[in-house]
Amino acid sequence: MIRRPLDQMKFVLRKVVLLLLALIVAFPLFYMFSSSLFSAKDFNKVNLLPAKAVFSNYAKVFGHRYFGSYIINSVGTSVLASVIRTVVIVLASFALTHLSFKGRNLIFSALMLTLFVPQEAVLYQNYRTIASLGLLDTWAGIIATSLFSAAQMILVMGSFMAQDRSSYDAARIDGASDLRYIVSVLVPLSGPAVLTVSIQTLITTFNSYLWPLLVTNKPKTRTIQTGITMLGFAESGDMGAQMASLVLITVPFMIVLAFTKKRIENSLIRR
Amino acid sequence: MNDICVFIKLSDVKLNLHRYRAYLYLAPAIVLAALFCWYPAVKGFIESFFTVSHSGTVQGFAGLSNYRTLFSDKAFLNSVSNTLRFIVLFVPANTFLTLLAASLTRRKSRFSFIPEYIFFVPVAVSLSAYSLLFRELFRGKASVINRILGTDFLWINDKSGAMATLVILGIFLDFGLDYILLMSAFRGIDKNIIEAARMDGAGGWRLFFQVELPQIRGTVLATVFLALKDAILISAPIIILTEGGPYRSTETIMFYYYTEAFRSGNRAVQNSMAALVLTIAAVAFAIYSLRRKSR
Amino acid sequence: MIKRLSAFVLVVLVCSALFASGSSEKSEKTTVTIWHSAQGSNAQVFENLAQDFNNGIGKEKNIEIEAIYQGKANDVLTKVNAATGTDSLPDIAMMDATAALDMNNSPYLVTVDKLGIDTSDILECGISSYTSENGLLALPFNASALLYYYNKSLYDSLGLQPPRTLDEMAEVVAKTASKDRSGFAGVPATFELTTLIGAQNGLSYMLNNRNGHDGAATEVLFGKEGTYKAFLEKWKAVYDTGAYNPIASGVTAEFTSGRTAAMLASSSNLASVINSVSGDFEVGVAKVPMVNEKATGGTVISGGALFTFTQSEAVKTVLEYLISPEVQAIWSESTGYVPVNTKSYDTDAYKAFLQKNPLYSVAIKSLLDSNPGLANVWVPSAYSVYYSFQANIVDVLNGKDMDTAVSEMVKTVESAIKAYVSN
Repeated sequence: MIRRPLDQMKFVLRKVVLLLLALIVAFPLFYMFSSSLFSAKDFNKVNLLPAKAVFSNYAKVFGHRYFGSYIINSVGTSVLASVIRTVVIVLASFALTHLSFKGRNLIFSALMLTLFVPQEAVLYQNYRTIASLGLLDTWAGIIATSLFSAAQMILVMGSFMAQDRSSYDAARIDGASDLRYIVSVLVPLSGPAVLTVSIQTLITTFNSYLWPLLVTNKPKTRTIQTGITMLGFAESGDMGAQMASLVLITVPFMIVLAFTKKRIENSLIRR
Repeated sequence: MNDICVFIKLSDVKLNLHRYRAYLYLAPAIVLAALFCWYPAVKGFIESFFTVSHSGTVQGFAGLSNYRTLFSDKAFLNSVSNTLRFIVLFVPANTFLTLLAASLTRRKSRFSFIPEYIFFVPVAVSLSAYSLLFRELFRGKASVINRILGTDFLWINDKSGAMATLVILGIFLDFGLDYILLMSAFRGIDKNIIEAARMDGAGGWRLFFQVELPQIRGTVLATVFLALKDAILISAPIIILTEGGPYRSTETIMFYYYTEAFRSGNRAVQNSMAALVLTIAAVAFAIYSLRRKSR
Repeated sequence: MIKRLSAFVLVVLVCSALFASGSSEKSEKTTVTIWHSAQGSNAQVFENLAQDFNNGIGKEKNIEIEAIYQGKANDVLTKVNAATGTDSLPDIAMMDATAALDMNNSPYLVTVDKLGIDTSDILECGISSYTSENGLLALPFNASALLYYYNKSLYDSLGLQPPRTLDEMAEVVAKTASKDRSGFAGVPATFELTTLIGAQNGLSYMLNNRNGHDGAATEVLFGKEGTYKAFLEKWKAVYDTGAYNPIASGVTAEFTSGRTAAMLASSSNLASVINSVSGDFEVGVAKVPMVNEKATGGTVISGGALFTFTQSEAVKTVLEYLISPEVQAIWSESTGYVPVNTKSYDTDAYKAFLQKNPLYSVAIKSLLDSNPGLANVWVPSAYSVYYSFQANIVDVLNGKDMDTAVSEMVKTVESAIKAYVSN
């Protein structure tokens, strides 16, 4: 194939822009890794690479007395929230798509109304509710407000509606209960949608900052996202240890991403 | 005789339960929505027209005076103008850059997985991690960014520098998700459409702007609205990165709400702001769904 | 069957996890919760002190301290205000002067007088700085003083002494600046101004009613007494040397990286500043330069105090432990705070420590030499007043007319005072 000079120039230009953009996007992460091995002097001298790698930064993080419990709380709350929200949404979507009952449209519209209310706008009122329920400093308090999402329910309902109704009728005649049908037929058939809901919930709960900050007062119940700003390394001049803590909470997700990237892409392209 | 009665009743119950099972399945969703969405929204909206004490008891009807207080509050107006400035800077920049990244990698090739991963990986970095990282990268004159760019800028110690840093941080926070949405949308375009356009002699820029971009306009619109929503509601990065400073130059609406509601316990400001945000959200969302429907 | 069983187990696990809050320990022990704002290595020191108590006195008396870091002093205030009216208020909270006004009006606060703690050995200026018309609001614990930090290696090599007045400071700052180093960095705010204004004419207040301590302030004094303008004139002269970098945050990082030769900062930063500099240069500290020769009032006591929300013997025991001479000496040695218990100064161990670490004695000396009438400012919307001062000063540096700036600043503080309605 013969390229015209103009095309060649365009091709090179595209690659240069691509390279530049990739470098910019990758740089903060590069610096995070590099500076996690910095000494105080490296920070003062504004180095980009450590003069001598200080691995003890990582030891400091592991030695921090709350780092472990922060991680446990984050993993625990996000897994719980993910499981519960998925169940809540699947049950509701099933009722709305497979059953006919009085007030169906009304309930559906009422649930859709929640789309109009950003959590931020009801932050304070929800805080008071959680406090009066005695749920401050509990996992329940951390996840309570994020156990339902109308946007995700639409996604799951769409997928449920695409399934063949007759298989449900057949299952009913065979005497299978609703739950059995949901677990063994409906959910497996709607795999991608249900999986998306649970993964999304897992990530958003794990990453949420403001709400856990408000409802936790004790280190034993704090999650990592709020805890990581309270480790105290940066304040005592141990910036390297602070960076090491960032590396430690980021790397697991980077690895997961590397393995699931293809699948996420495909599920998006198919739609 | 008695036994039979009991039997009948039991089966009644079972029958009823069966008939009402739809409500049972919907109950968790309804309870959650009611408790953490409808109830607080309605309560906040109503209370915005009343005088409420620090501890939360209603003291009397206030009419619009809470709103009047709010709109004569310089700090609030300042937070509105900061938020607008953030939106104007962030939304176009974010859309342009994510679209640029997605379009440059829209064709698969042997090594395209490398840039794809790089553009996607910001998804793995949490909000607090990026915020803490940027606090160090842009920490002032003696900062990494100044060293690389060879500049002598004050960044987060300067009014406009802090806003710029916040915009850049915002782009990084949204980049991964927007990129993957746009890139998949490009790749999801029907191959026949592109082939047909090629046959017609369309190539390069023309193919991109006249065929491919219009094909994914739904996704582009969705990312714009996502960005708009994030921009209106931004608060957490500010809590970590700038605490609203320097000189209140990065106090956004939601950051101001946070400090007033939780630090100062100012019920007048908190309720009327909550009501305002609800109204804005409702309008924005209505526009979005109408636009979607009209397509 | 197995499926059902495992489902049941899962449900039980979920339920127990949901309602586990970590507080279901043995009930005989009284737990005293303290929310603190000690940063970084100071946090470690504070938590060790709590641990020592738990292993000693606490074990005897069945009391346990639970020390919880909640962020900076104003983050603790946010948490306390949010928790007001819920059952999660702590027993004790470590906060600073910005919290005093809210706490003075809080029905939940238990004053030190009500607790019946003997405060006769506590620094006089510490007591007066937290006394309102309602009594002693909080027990001084982490007391500090504003200091002039300077790069001693550099000053020595140029044969310079830290400046005594702002006039001298202008000269020194000009001499210590170079192409990539400023002579001084940072913009004063409320905290610095309480000293820079308060010291003038022997003793000055920014607001009436002793800066709001004897009943809420109703009048702004720094305008009509000319104290703010006196400061601005001298400060502008420092700026006009061209060697001064007026940044509002990240000042400590500038100093530790050697990019500025001097700054004003609290003595509580001493240990962490030395740690960050990590031997690149020698750190020196000196008393805050005076605005003029007549500004002899000295330095206002700053830092934090312990506010109490529970009245009990256990809380009293804990507080008495924390202000004991021994604990205050340890706390001071590892942080840079000034011991609030005057008996600490008499212990041999502490005397020996000061001998070895003369930097730590500068703050003590500057507090003991000061007029104990000096008081920090209790102003509503402390946070926004803080920013207003910085912005106002920067405006003047950039050429705004000084009288206009002063009257604007007076108006800002007046409107904050007016808008404050205590409920």
